Amino acid sequence: MRIPVEWIKEFVNTEADAASIAETLTMAGLEVEETEQSELGPVLNIKVTPNRGDCLSVIGIARELASAECLELKLPAGGKERRWEDSSELVQIEAAELCPRYVGRVLEGVRIQPSPKWMQKRLVAAGMRPIYNVVDVTNYVMLETGQPLHAFDLNRLSGRRVIVRVAKPGETMATLDGEERSLSETMLIIADDSKPVAIAGVMGGANSEVTASTASILLESAHFDPISVRRAANSLSLRTEASYRFERVVSLEGVRAAADRAAALLLEIGAAQKITRSADIYLKPASTFDITVRMSRAGALLGYEVNRAAAESALHRLGFAIKAEGEALSCRVPYWRSDVTREVDVIEEIGRVLGYQRIPERMPGGAGIPGRRSRLQRIAAEIRTILAACGLQEVVTHTLQAPPMLDVEFWNQGQTVPVRNALSAELSTLRRSLAPGLIAVAQRNARRGESPLAFFEIGRVFRMESKNFTETVHIGGLATGPLIPDWWEGANPDAGFYQIKGMVELLLNRLGVSNLEWKPPNGEHSDKSPLHPGRSAAIWVAGHYIGWAGELDPALEEVLGGIRHRVCMFELDCDIMQSARHRIIVNPDISKRTFIFTPPSPYPSVIRDLAPRVKLEMPYSELESSVIQAGGDLLERCEPREVFTGDPLPPGIKSVTLSLTFRHPARTLTDDEVRASVSRIREALEQRCDAVFPS
Amino acid sequence: MDEIKNVVDAALTETEHATTIDNLEQVEIRYLGRKGEISQLLRSIGKLPEEERPRYGSRINEAKERLAAEIKRRRADLKILERRSRRESERLDITLPGVPADLGRLHPLTQTTERIIEVWTGLGFEFVDGPELEDYEHNFAKLNYPPDHPAIDEQMSFYIDDTHLLRTQTTALQGRVMATRKPPFRIATIGRCFRYEAVDATHHHTFHQVDVFMVDEGVSMADLKGMLVAFAREMFGNVVKSRFRPDFFPFVEPGVDFAIYWHNRWLELGGAGLIHPNILEVFGIDSERYTGFAFGLGIERIPMIQYGIKDLRYFLDNDLRFLRQF
Repeated sequence: MRIPVEWIKEFVNTEADAASIAETLTMAGLEVEETEQSELGPVLNIKVTPNRGDCLSVIGIARELASAECLELKLPAGGKERRWEDSSELVQIEAAELCPRYVGRVLEGVRIQPSPKWMQKRLVAAGMRPIYNVVDVTNYVMLETGQPLHAFDLNRLSGRRVIVRVAKPGETMATLDGEERSLSETMLIIADDSKPVAIAGVMGGANSEVTASTASILLESAHFDPISVRRAANSLSLRTEASYRFERVVSLEGVRAAADRAAALLLEIGAAQKITRSADIYLKPASTFDITVRMSRAGALLGYEVNRAAAESALHRLGFAIKAEGEALSCRVPYWRSDVTREVDVIEEIGRVLGYQRIPERMPGGAGIPGRRSRLQRIAAEIRTILAACGLQEVVTHTLQAPPMLDVEFWNQGQTVPVRNALSAELSTLRRSLAPGLIAVAQRNARRGESPLAFFEIGRVFRMESKNFTETVHIGGLATGPLIPDWWEGANPDAGFYQIKGMVELLLNRLGVSNLEWKPPNGEHSDKSPLHPGRSAAIWVAGHYIGWAGELDPALEEVLGGIRHRVCMFELDCDIMQSARHRIIVNPDISKRTFIFTPPSPYPSVIRDLAPRVKLEMPYSELESSVIQAGGDLLERCEPREVFTGDPLPPGIKSVTLSLTFRHPARTLTDDEVRASVSRIREALEQRCDAVFPS
Repeated sequence: MDEIKNVVDAALTETEHATTIDNLEQVEIRYLGRKGEISQLLRSIGKLPEEERPRYGSRINEAKERLAAEIKRRRADLKILERRSRRESERLDITLPGVPADLGRLHPLTQTTERIIEVWTGLGFEFVDGPELEDYEHNFAKLNYPPDHPAIDEQMSFYIDDTHLLRTQTTALQGRVMATRKPPFRIATIGRCFRYEAVDATHHHTFHQVDVFMVDEGVSMADLKGMLVAFAREMFGNVVKSRFRPDFFPFVEPGVDFAIYWHNRWLELGGAGLIHPNILEVFGIDSERYTGFAFGLGIERIPMIQYGIKDLRYFLDNDLRFLRQF
């Protein structure tokens, strides 16, 4: 809200300059975001928090300033306190719940012309456009008091009166902005005998608008239910200065004063000749209430001993009526403070006026409990360390994404979760996989000429299965081009399936997940499958699918502009992976540590190589499992050393060199033992894998 | 007799002329080897008269020892020369760049998150994770937002269906914790939040927050201030000045805006306050006996302040030229 300092000073006699007023208000909770210059001098742009509807006015701000600076607030001379008159010929309320008070004033002898310069200047400085005298006065008084006002052309009201009621089905009305609005039965409206003439608290109708030929007006000052106004404004997507204030609660008690102030101003500036009729229908008078505030409680919450006299004086300046009540104060809440409803609210007021800078710094006592990371934070830290050590840069990508472009999902269970009110199509679903985000990062960086590219991300993904949402943590990685960049001494090999597999194996091994099964990807391959069918795998652990790894399909690579190398990726489900850990080294709960170390054997190992020739299709895993089964306890390790095809081997045959390590835990092995084991392994390979050994 | 002298002289000359260890070894074999010239001289001892043999023998031994010593000395010299020439021949241009050995780095948001976790765990807080896809109840209703209250306008949400939305604040975890725990507790949570906002340099629909809250007997605004000032000092250094200013959030009363003084102006770090008694009471916590504080702040704000990053969009753009700087 923009308020000229000069206007504030009409109500508070202060010598302070704009900067110091801005500082005072900011420290009282009314943040001055900036100070602008205007024809009337400095204008404060004040951010009023949604609980302080009473501060959406010059008087409200002036009151805060006066209380903070211990000055007197000078209010404009009000009319004499009169009882409200029940003039149902002029105003009739049919929805008392939504409109407990309505003040109407009929002014005649209206002469529409521009308002006086002083008024126009203040309106402009406050960011409003002067129109003509009647409208300017309603705006001026709204800015001054916070009470929105409206003026109807009385002669255009059929029956020359207004009825406050909810809209009837099918009713429509053109608002002042020229839009034809259809009204719903939940909307509170102002009507005349035949038609709606305003949407209560939101905007008036064109059909009763004051025009250059208007001779008499009905001035409206009313209290409308905040929720009702908010819903109407929301459903019409029509936010106005009036609706903004009604949503934030306009006080019941100020309704009449604002009407009187506006009427007096209209007469004063010659916009009207006389007040001829008036109504003040006040169906549910505001109840006053008292709150008991214990000084001891104030001290306990604010953290310092509160001086009773200082508290009393602070509350008094804010408009509270105080009575002593033993150790406590009985505080009557001023009618404009709808936000103050219980003891703690008053304590906040005391703290606010005394200044938050008074609050001392202290560290809480109580039993010292050691802090700890969450389970996810612990494993995520382990994962990050490992993947960063593999050379992958961590990235953080968007959760909100375009609908998946691929028919076959990386993660094929469930459905993508759509956002009902998306900002744009590109942000209209929740990611189901980290892969699209990682690919997009690779593309963007490739376009900028970055190479090689190797990233990982730990993030949440979402799925919907029959109206249930699942949220899981995934780990995704991408590498394209050589992992170690080419340099002046020579080029390095590009990352491929085996590099990415190696990283996944290292990661899972370090996390204590073993016995991985690398299975061919599921399902039929189509041109829309994201992964290369011959260079990708589904990863299983103990009967659970935990993720996938592989190279992107050539068809997809063609779509990905800018990336020159093969793209290798992996994605793992962190939650399943975590439950598959069989070896947990680090856990604050010692009973969950399931790892006991093995002492390294002091005895030497014996290494033997075998080079079976097998059919090209024979998977290495078959060779390895045959070797391990036949090798017995003495076999410590079996590793492939070379896979060879081509001349001099016949087509369809490969030679796999296996390096076998034997060791006894308690003594040095004998030659005979090793020889016997190797020959068992040879036989097993011959029988189970149709292996042939060159003589 | 001169025979010995001739052999020794020749051997010493050859030793001196050997330019490599290999050369020298050939000299050694030629003279001192089993079939070498010294051995042959020794073998010819039988041809001499009996009485000359001891003298001849000892002279040959002397010659042998002398030669062996000379060869040893020469070998040591040659070793030095060889090392010297190897050093010369292996000389590199040390100004050429090294083979790139690169670690991956952690995203700056992760680095900040790690630091925040370190500080709050150090202050005795337990981190708990909550869902990003939240329900309206936990995100708003249980945090003392009245229905249809304008305060919700500051937290425009992405809705999934009538009751589910993407959390707009990590504060949403409070209700989940209070429903299952009895005070005293000290809890913190950190994670991603979403708001329906157009993206510019200082606004984003996706951002990250940390939320910290504790409930115990006798917790006051002074405890909140002590903790927040300690936190600010850990993040920004001991000299940083902090400020408490009244502010409004439905879930706290009194409410606080917490700011630090940085490069000659106050920068808001986050919102805080004492947990509203309405919330404690909803979860059956005696609000007379127990009080608590809550504090929330945006993670991005911290590296933006620390490193002078002026545009929020860098964090999710993942430009390697940006990420590599951290």
